[in-house]
Amino acid sequence: MDGLEQWTNQLQQWVHEAETWVHQIPASQLYAALCALFLTTAFLLLIHLKRFYVYNILGNGICQKKNLFFLLIFLSCLIIAVRLFKRTQSNTIVLAGLSASGKTVLFYQLRDGSSHQGTVTSMDPNEGSFVLHSESTKKGKIKPVHVVDVPGHSRLRPKLDEYLPQAAGLVFVVDAVEFLSNCRAAAEYLYDILTKASVVKRKIPLLILCNKTDKVTAHTKEFIRKQLEKEIDKLRASRTTVSAADIANEFTLGVTGEAFVFSHCHNKVTVAEASGLTGEISQVEQFIREHVKP
Amino acid sequence: MAECTATPAPICKGDKFSEKDCPQNALEKKRMENIPHASVVRSLMYAQTCTRSDISFVVGMLGRYQSNPGMEHWKVAKKVLRYLKGRRHYMLTYRRIVLEMLEQLLIFTRGGLILWTCKELGNALKGSPIDTLIRSCLLEERSGAASFNYDAPGAAYTLKWTFHNDLGLIFVAVYQRILHLLYVDDLLSMVKHEFSQIYDPKRRAYNDFDDIFRQLQKEAEARAEEIKKSKQVMRPTNALGKKQGHAAIQKAGSEGGNTQKTSGSMKDGGDAKGRNLENGHSNGHRTGIKESFAGGVVTGKENEGSNGRAFDVNKLQKLRNKGAKKIDTVVSKAPKVEPKKKITKKNRVWDDSLPESKLDFTDPVDEKGDEYRPVVEADQGESMMDREEIISSESETDEDEEVGKDNKLNTKKHGWFSSMFQSFLQFPTFSIAGKANLEKSDLEPALKALKDRLMTKNVAEEIAEKLCESVAASLEGKKMASFTRISSTVQAAMEEALVRILTPKRSIDILRDVHAAKEQRKPYVVVFVGVNGVGKSTNLAKVKSTHFFYFNGFDLKGLPTDWMELCSNATLQVAYWLVQHEISVMMAACDTFRSGAVEQLRTHARRLQIPIFEKGYEKDPAIVAKEAIQEASRNGSDVVLVDTAGRMQDNEPLMRALSKLIYLNNPDLILFVGEALVGNDAVDQLSKFNQKLADLSTSPNTRLIDGILLTKFDTIDDKVGAALSMVYISGAPVMFVGCGQSYTDLKKLNVKSIVKTLLK
Repeated sequence: MDGLEQWTNQLQQWVHEAETWVHQIPASQLYAALCALFLTTAFLLLIHLKRFYVYNILGNGICQKKNLFFLLIFLSCLIIAVRLFKRTQSNTIVLAGLSASGKTVLFYQLRDGSSHQGTVTSMDPNEGSFVLHSESTKKGKIKPVHVVDVPGHSRLRPKLDEYLPQAAGLVFVVDAVEFLSNCRAAAEYLYDILTKASVVKRKIPLLILCNKTDKVTAHTKEFIRKQLEKEIDKLRASRTTVSAADIANEFTLGVTGEAFVFSHCHNKVTVAEASGLTGEISQVEQFIREHVKP
Repeated sequence: MAECTATPAPICKGDKFSEKDCPQNALEKKRMENIPHASVVRSLMYAQTCTRSDISFVVGMLGRYQSNPGMEHWKVAKKVLRYLKGRRHYMLTYRRIVLEMLEQLLIFTRGGLILWTCKELGNALKGSPIDTLIRSCLLEERSGAASFNYDAPGAAYTLKWTFHNDLGLIFVAVYQRILHLLYVDDLLSMVKHEFSQIYDPKRRAYNDFDDIFRQLQKEAEARAEEIKKSKQVMRPTNALGKKQGHAAIQKAGSEGGNTQKTSGSMKDGGDAKGRNLENGHSNGHRTGIKESFAGGVVTGKENEGSNGRAFDVNKLQKLRNKGAKKIDTVVSKAPKVEPKKKITKKNRVWDDSLPESKLDFTDPVDEKGDEYRPVVEADQGESMMDREEIISSESETDEDEEVGKDNKLNTKKHGWFSSMFQSFLQFPTFSIAGKANLEKSDLEPALKALKDRLMTKNVAEEIAEKLCESVAASLEGKKMASFTRISSTVQAAMEEALVRILTPKRSIDILRDVHAAKEQRKPYVVVFVGVNGVGKSTNLAKVKSTHFFYFNGFDLKGLPTDWMELCSNATLQVAYWLVQHEISVMMAACDTFRSGAVEQLRTHARRLQIPIFEKGYEKDPAIVAKEAIQEASRNGSDVVLVDTAGRMQDNEPLMRALSKLIYLNNPDLILFVGEALVGNDAVDQLSKFNQKLADLSTSPNTRLIDGILLTKFDTIDDKVGAALSMVYISGAPVMFVGCGQSYTDLKKLNVKSIVKTLLK
């Protein structure tokens, strides 16, 4: 009995691995491969059907089994394809924010519960599907979270657009210590995110995470929220007036004629605190679990 | 002495030496003759100067009596030896100097997680050289460069790096700039090689790599020393390059020359604009097969002749017959290429022995060749392919002619299909599952084609070159995805790089900045700088045409026949744009160099109803600007637009004046006004402008160009390369694009469409 359980566990693990592997392959390749598979099976099926009829005419029923076998293959292919392309509820959480705000550390805190030997500026996104580290001791089946850490360097920001369409939640990380010097840049980035069509239309919930709160000089989250609102309010004024030809932002923010507050946004915006380095990230985990049900 | 007991000290307190201890009579002298005192002392002296400075006192004392040692001295000498025995393991150690010269070595992922650092080196780096490296070098598509210099207060580092693209790892070595470490490249490549073997994406700590690293470092040092000894001027032979060379050759050999064939044919394809590919296609797949087959055979022979020989000879015989036939057609059909082809034909020796001796690269005798081997190999491959081409396919020459006419069209049409087909042939096992790791030689043809394409779009050659290098560095060693081909992979990488470059680093929302300045009750100062595109009044014809060109839109018939400068024109456009957004603008006419400039600006300003600040021509522009800013803060203008004289980047006095203007007024924005028409000159203009501004500035914090305004953007069609060149060289974003002569023709750059145009 024990052995059986082990086997099923093993099997489940394999299935999971296979699924993650499949998810890593670009969609276009998958389509191509599946097309090839379908065509061949359909082709074989056709041939066999033909033969089957011929045999039927001859009154020979032996081939029926073989035919069934091919039908089965065809069906299973279909099922796999349907499962692959069925849009399951997204479990992607995107970490965004300025460079050096602590996204990569947060990513590894969520994943491994440690920041390892430190980090440097990211050049590529970090991606991973995993059960949150704090939940890894819990029993029972927990749905893994797909977390993406998008580099904060302004040159790499276009990458964010790749992940937003599948995001179930967005964490905007802000450095609470060096906040004032980065306030405008952060507000601009946040404004860009909040006006993106993919965010507005799908109402992706956003968490503004004030990181590095373990430091004494860190600003409070209320202060940061107010400053960001103020900055965005100014941005709104200047952005809407820029000539229409180059507008990248598809939507306007908030209620016109009123000072901007985050509650005006189409999507839910909340503010939380965390400290990536010391591992106090319970509020992030809570946010993640609100939007990716375990 | 071997069994003696150790003593705690080499000399006891109170031990004294004197002449008395020296042998006084013949007997004593005789006794001392048998004692090897002198040699012992000499050995001790050696030890003392090298590793045991703790015995220097006593050895010094003993040395005084070298000429006539006595029994007492001998006893002391023995005592020293006994002391040394007890402390045999204590010594001054001299780590090789190089050990201390490396400041730090890091291994991290592209995602930014540090996997391993050398704890032994452990020196805390001053500032953040790694982050700076990534931000200002690797992310700016400058990773093709050899090294990066980092300056922090109290430290000047040089950084070298290498990528492992397949695993997404970056290896960075940091060392003091003053030291020219020869072995760093070598060490990095060795570290890369070793680390990639133990790397596991799931593992986070690599403590066991410490030992391996120590070993590697020793090796690298030893090699560096050797190189120093042998006085080779060459840089340390890149161990990896060597290894790769071997590996490539072995692989090529084992695969029957398939790999080489790729490099050869691809390179050739690049050179002759995909001539090869087209041939393969247009002649039907039959020729393609033959070609690749023959290629495989030849290269196979090249590398391990004996294996493939038995099998090629008859094949080649057939081909030669065909070739003989072919030559006739060559002569008749392609007279242009004829002489060259004849020569190649003559050179072609199908005997087994000769090419082998020439092309056998597995023999590492030639030391100098080490570094260049891969290149040489590729070259040979190419020339082989050239010859092969003549022989193998029937309608080749027809193709050649056609290629001459419209090769571009053909490449586009046939490129995909034929290369797909070829890849199927060459990598029968990998074509679906994804190709093996990309090598530089695989990338070269695609990169070359891409570079040419960029250059046809008016991108400066230097920059196209650098970009391609950087893209190559980012792709080398990567695994190719299935159902893709090299050129599309390269193109995708290039597209990503271009988007990255053109995406502005700083905010280009001037209005936002203006509002910010307004809050601080300070006028926002913009200085327009730029070259003068035309040869001034000396070149009247040009002036007239420019004048016509520029005045069309403004409709200024009543003005004196003087022309408007780019700079002023841009200033006016920006001024108009700002006024449109309800910002009060003031212009400062600081072009005190060109006659008529002030009047011109005044006329336009009146037309736009913008206040203008002017002080005639005699004044120093820096002072005019200063007064203008003071005036603006008095009357509450939000923005001051400072129009300066256009100047050539080489004009020292004018550049000095500009530097002074900038230093004195500390503007919020320095806009460089450039023509979108320039090609290679763009690099020169911007880099010299920036350099002059940096060199001639008297203040410690130098100001460089913050943004670019491209004019005449409407006249360039798809030749948008200047935008890329300028942004790449200066790192400043294109803030505006002027696409017409009227006030309203100011736009923002659309990065996506520019990238699309560049790669079209």
